[in-house]
This record gives sequence, C-alpha cells and structure tokens, in this order.
Amino acid sequence: MGRLRRSRVHNARRDVHRASRTRVRTRDLDQIQLIDLDPKNRAALEAQPLDFEKPGLAQHYCVECAKYYETDAALNSHWRSKVHKRRLKQLREPAYTIEESERAAGLGRETSRRPAAAAEMPVDMAV
Amino acid sequence: MRIEKCYFCSTNVYPGHGSAFVRNDAKVFRFCTSKCHKNFKMKRNPRKVRWTKAFRKAAGKEMTIDSTIDFEKRRNVPVRYDRELIQTTVKAMKRVGEIKARRERVFFKHRMAASREKQRAHRAKVKAAAGVSVKLHEPLSMESSSTKEKIKVPVKAKSALIQGEGRSMGMDID
Repeated sequence: MGRLRRSRVHNARRDVHRASRTRVRTRDLDQIQLIDLDPKNRAALEAQPLDFEKPGLAQHYCVECAKYYETDAALNSHWRSKVHKRRLKQLREPAYTIEESERAAGLGRETSRRPAAAAEMPVDMAV
Repeated sequence: MRIEKCYFCSTNVYPGHGSAFVRNDAKVFRFCTSKCHKNFKMKRNPRKVRWTKAFRKAAGKEMTIDSTIDFEKRRNVPVRYDRELIQTTVKAMKRVGEIKARRERVFFKHRMAASREKQRAHRAKVKAAAGVSVKLHEPLSMESSSTKEKIKVPVKAKSALIQGEGRSMGMDID
C-alpha cells in the first residue's frame, strides 16, 4: 500500500466545528448513492415544485452534491467545477454504510427467516 | 441489552458506553469513543483510515472468508431461556474462539511470509541498482596531502600588558 493521505488537502477551511453542526448536514454519500441516484428519485429531485424556503425556489438542484443553486448558469458552472468532479469520483466507489462496519467487525445478519431470499443469494453470487 | 459495533472502527460498544448519532432517516450511528465520533464528523471514509477494522479487512490484512466468522450474528428473534442451550452455547463459543485464534495466527504467518519475500526482492533490486555507484575510490597520494602549509594570519592582538591600549576592566570610552 502506498501513501493514502496527500499534501495540500486542506483548502483553507477555517471553521470545522461550525461546518460539522447537525443543522448544516446535507445528504450523506450513502444516501445519495443508494437513494437519490436512482433514476426515478433523480427525476423527482430535478423537477421539484416551487419552494420559497429553498435557494432559487428549489429549481436548480445538483443531485450528486445535494445542493441548490440560484440560477441555471450557476448550476451549469458548478457541473464544470472541480468540487463536482471530485464528488463524482467519490460516488463511483461503493459508499461506506453501517452494514459494512458490522461486516468488518465480523457480525453477520441472520437470513434464516427468509429462506427464499437465502436460496437466491448463491445464484446472484455465481452470476 | 445488546453489544453494538462502532460505526467507524467496528469495535464493540457495550451498553452505557460511547455515543450515538441518529440521522434524520432514523439510521443509528454508534461510536465507541469521541475519536471515532470526531472522525465521522470530519466525513472521513473508514475504509481509508488505516487504524479501522474496515481498512484492515479491505486491504487484505485480516481474514475475511472463514467459517468461524459466520457464527456471530445479529438475531432479531429472541430465544427463550434454556439452561442446556446456554451451556452448550458458551462451550461452543470458547471452542470457536480457539479455532479462530489458531486460524488467524496461520493467516498472519502466511501474510508475513509473503511480505518478507516481497521485501527481500525489493532490497535485492535496490542493492543491484546502487551497486554501480558504490565503488571505492583510491585515496589521494601521500605527497599532495602532506604538503599542506600553515597559513599565518597577522593578528593585531591587544595586549593586556600595555596600559591604555590593552584590555581594561573599565568600559572603553571614546
């Protein structure tokens, strides 16, 4: 394994504590990957009804970054930006979930209650 | 009562210990220590942080596929207390733990053997690359080294013996 952390990863983020408050939390990577990027949900998010509480009346939303923009031009320039591309790269690999943390600890899920699902599993593995 | 697993480092979180964060979709994130909680708040990926279980499993540093791992499970159906069952379970847990420890040791040995081999090859490669430049040079001839001349530097030292000119106890006044 090589070095994972690189230099120049801190880009002048001044107030980390303020940025980590629960009120400024947006959708997590696993939520975006497993729910929002589903074509049906994606279409619903991109065509939201007018909402006076949201920036730009919730008409310009980036699904990957879970962020509202004021205008179409702003959204388009965001799509060309480094921040957005970095986010796409993060979303390309499977997101870390609670299930994975439990699997890493050696804790499995009991599947004996649904024998049909358990029977299907090996078929999926083979394919 | 249930022993939970830490979201970040996957260690055990016993009742009354650690903290939990409940996301607005009712997912509960448990943390063993404030260290893990802080790392979560920094939005770090546990798969990329070297001290977590997730990293070690993902990087092939620990056993992932083994029958001894499959025993520990989250069971959502409560089992009616049965003395015999508890007795056999405890006995089985001890035995499984023994087997697991032995297999882990074997896994570790194999891993280290492979890495040692790799390191040896790497070292040989480095040595071969460096072999060209490590060449002893002959020392310079004796004559050239012995003909060093002392260079005299004229020093205008102030004498302490001469009054007025030399060093004195008092400060110099112009």
